[in-house]
Amino acid sequence: MSQTDPRSQLPLTAVVLHILLALADGERHGYAIAQEIEDTTEGQIRMGPGTLYGSIQRMLGAALIEETPQRRRAADDDERRRYYRTTSFGRRVLELELQRLAQVVRVARRKRLVRDPGVA
Amino acid sequence: MYLALLALYPRAFRVRFGDEMLDFAQRRISAARRAGVAACTRETIGLFADVVTGASRQWIDTLRERRRLARDNTVTDALPRENMDIIIQDLRFALRALARRPAFTTVAALTLALGIGANTAIFSVVDAVLIRPLPYNDPDQLALVWGTQGPQGNQGVVYPDYLDWRARNHTFAEMGALRGQSVNLTGGDTPDRLIGSFVSASLFRVVNTKMSQGRLFTDDETTVATKAPVAILQYEAWVSRFGSKPDMLGKTMVVNGTAFTIVGITAPNTPMPLGAPDVYLPIAYYPNAHGLDRGVRGILVAGRLKPGVTMAAAQRDLSAIAKQLEREYPATNAATGAEVVSLKEQMVGRVRESLLIILGAVAVVLLIACANVANLQLARGATRARELSVRAALGAGRARIAQQLLTESVVLSVIGGVAGLAVAVGLTKALVALIGPQLPVEPSDIRLDVPVLLFALAISVGTGILFGLAPAWQASRANLNDMLRSRMSGGLSSVMTRNTLVIVQLALSLALLASAGLLTRSLMALQRVDPGFDGTNLLTAQFRLPPAKYDSPDKIWAMFERTIAELRAIPGVESAALVRASPLSQNGESYSVTIDGKPPVKAGDAPQMLVNSVTPGYFSTMRIPVLLGHDIAATDRTGAPGVIVVNKSFADATWPKESPLGKRIKIGDEDWRTVIGVVGDTKHFTLNEQQLLQGYIPHAQRPQIFTSIVVRARGNALDLVKPVREAIWRVDRDQPVWRFKAMQQDLDAVVASKKSMMWLTGLFAVVALLVAAVGIYGVLSYTMSQRTQEVGIRIALGAETRDVRRMVLGEGMRLIGFAVFVGLLTSLGAARLLRNQLYGVAPNDLATFGAVTVVLSGVAMLACYIPARRASRVDPMVALRSE
Repeated sequence: MSQTDPRSQLPLTAVVLHILLALADGERHGYAIAQEIEDTTEGQIRMGPGTLYGSIQRMLGAALIEETPQRRRAADDDERRRYYRTTSFGRRVLELELQRLAQVVRVARRKRLVRDPGVA
Repeated sequence: MYLALLALYPRAFRVRFGDEMLDFAQRRISAARRAGVAACTRETIGLFADVVTGASRQWIDTLRERRRLARDNTVTDALPRENMDIIIQDLRFALRALARRPAFTTVAALTLALGIGANTAIFSVVDAVLIRPLPYNDPDQLALVWGTQGPQGNQGVVYPDYLDWRARNHTFAEMGALRGQSVNLTGGDTPDRLIGSFVSASLFRVVNTKMSQGRLFTDDETTVATKAPVAILQYEAWVSRFGSKPDMLGKTMVVNGTAFTIVGITAPNTPMPLGAPDVYLPIAYYPNAHGLDRGVRGILVAGRLKPGVTMAAAQRDLSAIAKQLEREYPATNAATGAEVVSLKEQMVGRVRESLLIILGAVAVVLLIACANVANLQLARGATRARELSVRAALGAGRARIAQQLLTESVVLSVIGGVAGLAVAVGLTKALVALIGPQLPVEPSDIRLDVPVLLFALAISVGTGILFGLAPAWQASRANLNDMLRSRMSGGLSSVMTRNTLVIVQLALSLALLASAGLLTRSLMALQRVDPGFDGTNLLTAQFRLPPAKYDSPDKIWAMFERTIAELRAIPGVESAALVRASPLSQNGESYSVTIDGKPPVKAGDAPQMLVNSVTPGYFSTMRIPVLLGHDIAATDRTGAPGVIVVNKSFADATWPKESPLGKRIKIGDEDWRTVIGVVGDTKHFTLNEQQLLQGYIPHAQRPQIFTSIVVRARGNALDLVKPVREAIWRVDRDQPVWRFKAMQQDLDAVVASKKSMMWLTGLFAVVALLVAAVGIYGVLSYTMSQRTQEVGIRIALGAETRDVRRMVLGEGMRLIGFAVFVGLLTSLGAARLLRNQLYGVAPNDLATFGAVTVVLSGVAMLACYIPARRASRVDPMVALRSE
C-alpha cells in the first residue's frame, strides 16, 4: 500500500490515540491494550471488545499498526492471541498528533486557560 | 452466548477477530465474577451494548467498503469525513422515507415504544432490586445465619449457640447478633412506641456502621455479665422523633421502663439487615424472659465472611460446630443446626422469580412487536421495489441498499425508543404504586438512571437491527430484473418468512395468555380460600408491656383482665378478646408436643403445634366455630388444671377414631393439659399455607408481656381505633398500642402481591394478542392485495363470495392452527417456569389452555375476516385492469 500523507489521518479519535500510545513501548495483544489504556487513563477510557477490535481493524486498514509475525510469540501463550505493534507510519502519525496537541495546549496556556502543571 | 452475539458482525470481521474478542470478553467476565454478582451483571450488559454498537458500526464500514469496491476499481484513500457523510446522508434519507409514510411510521414507532417502554420500566425495577449492590462495603461477603430444627429452616437462633458459633468458626471475619422488637418510650406527653433493635457491639463491625455523632457500643456494654444501659439513635429517628435536637448525647431515654444513656447517633441512611430500627440497645437487655437462655430461639445473626470464603464453606463450618454443640448439650440442641444465607438472597430471593417472570413476559411482548414491524417492513419493502430498483439501476449496490434499509430500521427503533422513554416514565410510576410495597427496596431507588437508559438505548438499537435484518437481507438478495418486474417482488421465500413471523407472534401470545390465565385462576383459588374466621368489621392491634413494670404473671393478667373489661364497655363493640398472635400478623410460635398414650418419638420427630394464648370469647369474636366441647372459661387460670383447645386438623390427625375430649397433651416440658374443646381450622401466616396443627391455651394460664387485641365492631372497624387506644390508656396511661388494622386489610394484602403479578402478566398478554392480531391482519391483507388479480379471475369465472371468503379464511386458519400447536407446546414450558407462583391450579390445566386457545383463535379469525371480506368484494373488472 502506497503511503499517504500522515497529516491526512489527523486529528485522531481518542481511542486511536490511546491505542497508539499503548503500543508506543512495544507490542501487545488486544486485551493488554485495553488494560493499559484503562490503567493509564485511570479508568476514564474503558472499552469493550467491539470498540477495540473495530478500531484495530480500521487502524490496520490505515496501516497505523500491524500484526506481529507468528514466530515472535512466546510458546506458552494462548494461541488465540495476536500481537500488534505500531508501524513507522503509525509512529509518524502519533508524533504529528502529539505535536498538534502540544500546540493546542501552548495556545491554551498563553490564554491562561490551563494552570501550568510544571511539565513541558 | 457471546459467540451468538458475535454472529451480528460481518463474517469477514468475525473470522478475523472473533477468537480474540471472545478471549477478551471471557477475561472481563472472569475478572468481574471475582468482584461479585452485581459487577458481573453490569459487565455482561456493558459487553452486550458494546457488541451491538460495535457490530452496527462494522456493518456500516463493511457495506461502505463493498459498495466502493463495486462502484469503481480505482481504490483511493477513504477519508473519515466521507464515511460520516454517507451515514448522515443515510440518516436524512431514512427520516425522509419515514416521514413520507406517516401511518406506517406512527404504527411501527408506537408498537416499538410500547415494547421498549415496558421493558425499560420493568428493567428499572430489576436493576434496583436484583442488580444494584446492597449499600454495604463488600456486600457479597454479608450473610444471615438462621437456626434450623430438624427439617425446619428459617428459625431464630439460640443466643448461647451464637456465642459458640462466633468463638469457634474459622470462616467469618465477624459475627453479630440482633433482634428487632418494638419498645415503649415513656417520659413524653403520650407513651410512644419505637422500633428497637437489640444488638451486639460486633454487629456494627459486620455491617461497618458509620456514626454522625458519638460512638458505637463497646463489647463489654452488650455482654450479659458486663452490660451497661446505653443507646444509639438511628439518624432518621433522631430527626423525626427528637427534632434533630443538638444535645442528645449523654441524655437518658426511658425505654421499657429502664433509663438508657444515648451515646451515639448513626450517619444518615445507615442500612441494617432486615431494616433499620429507631434505636439500638445492647442485646444483654433483651426483654423476653429467658430470651437469652440455651434452648430458647429468638435472636438473628448476621456475619461477614473472611475474604475469599464462600457461603458453602461457611455453611460447612457452622454445621460442623452445630454437630459439636448437639453432642455437648443433648438436652437442648438435639437436631438443631445453622443455615447460612447470603444477605442479597435473603432480601431478594422472595421476589426474584416474580420479577424475572415479568421481565420475561415483557421481553416476549417486545419480540412480538419486533416481528410485527419486521412484517410491516417486508410488506413495504415489496411495495418499495420500484423505488429500490430505480436506485439499483442508478448504480447503488445491493449492500448499499441493505445498509439504507437497516439505517431506516434503526432510526425507526430509536424514535420508538425515545417515545418508549415517555411510556417508561409513566409505567415506572405505575409499577412503583402497584408493586412497590412488596419490594425490598425504597420506591425512590427505582428510577430511570444511567444504567437503565443505557439498557433502553441498547434494546432500541438491538430491536432495530433485529427487525431490520430480514428486510435488509431480502433487499440485498433480490436481483435487479425481479425488482423491475415489481410483481415478482414478493417471492416464495418472503411469503414463508412472513408466515413464520406471524406464527411465532401468535404462538408467543398464546403462551403469554396461558400464563396470565393460570395466574388468574390461582388468584381466584386464593380468594376462595376460607381463612376459618370472619374478617369483616374486625379490628386488631398490638401492645407489649414493659417487663420492668409488669414483672409477674399476676400483674400481667390483672392488666389484661381490666383491658378486656374496658374494651367491652366501648359503645359499638360487639365483643372483644386478647390473643397472643392474631392470624396474618406473622407472629406465632410452634412447639413440639407430647401426646399422652402415644409411644414416645425421637427428639426432632415430635408433632409441631402452633400454640396461641387466648382469652375467653376469642372464638366467638373471631367467629371460629367450636365443633366439640366448649370454649376456654374464665375459671381456667393459674392454679386451675391446665387445659387446651385444639383445631380440627390436630384432632383428626392425632385421634382419628376417638373423641379428643379429655385426652392429655404436653407442650414442650410444661405440665399436662387436658383437651376441653375442638375448634375449626384457621389460616395463620398466609392463605395458601398447608393447614397447620393448632392449639389454644388460656392466656390466664401463661400470661406473657406481648399480646394482640381483637375487637368485633358493630360498624366500621377503623372507627374504633381512638376509643380502643383510650380504653387501654384508662388501664395504664404509659402503655403505647400500635399496628391498628382492620383484619380485612391483612386478608387483602395476602392476595395483593399475586394480584399485581396477574395484572401485569394479563396486561402484557392482551397487548401481545392485539399486536399479533394486527400482525396476522397485515399479512393476510398484503397477500390478498398481491392476489387481487387471481381473485378477480376467480370471480369472473363464477366463484361465489362465499368461496373467496372461505379461501382467505382457510389461509388464515392454517396459520392459526400451526400457531396454536406451537403455542400450546410453548405454554406448557412457560407454565413449568410459573409452577411456584401457582396455587390451586395444575400447570397443565386443560380448561385454561382451552379457554385461551379459543380467545386467541377468535381474535385471530376476526383479524382475518376483514381482508377476507375485502377480497370477496373485488370487482373483477378493476382487478384485471390493475395489471
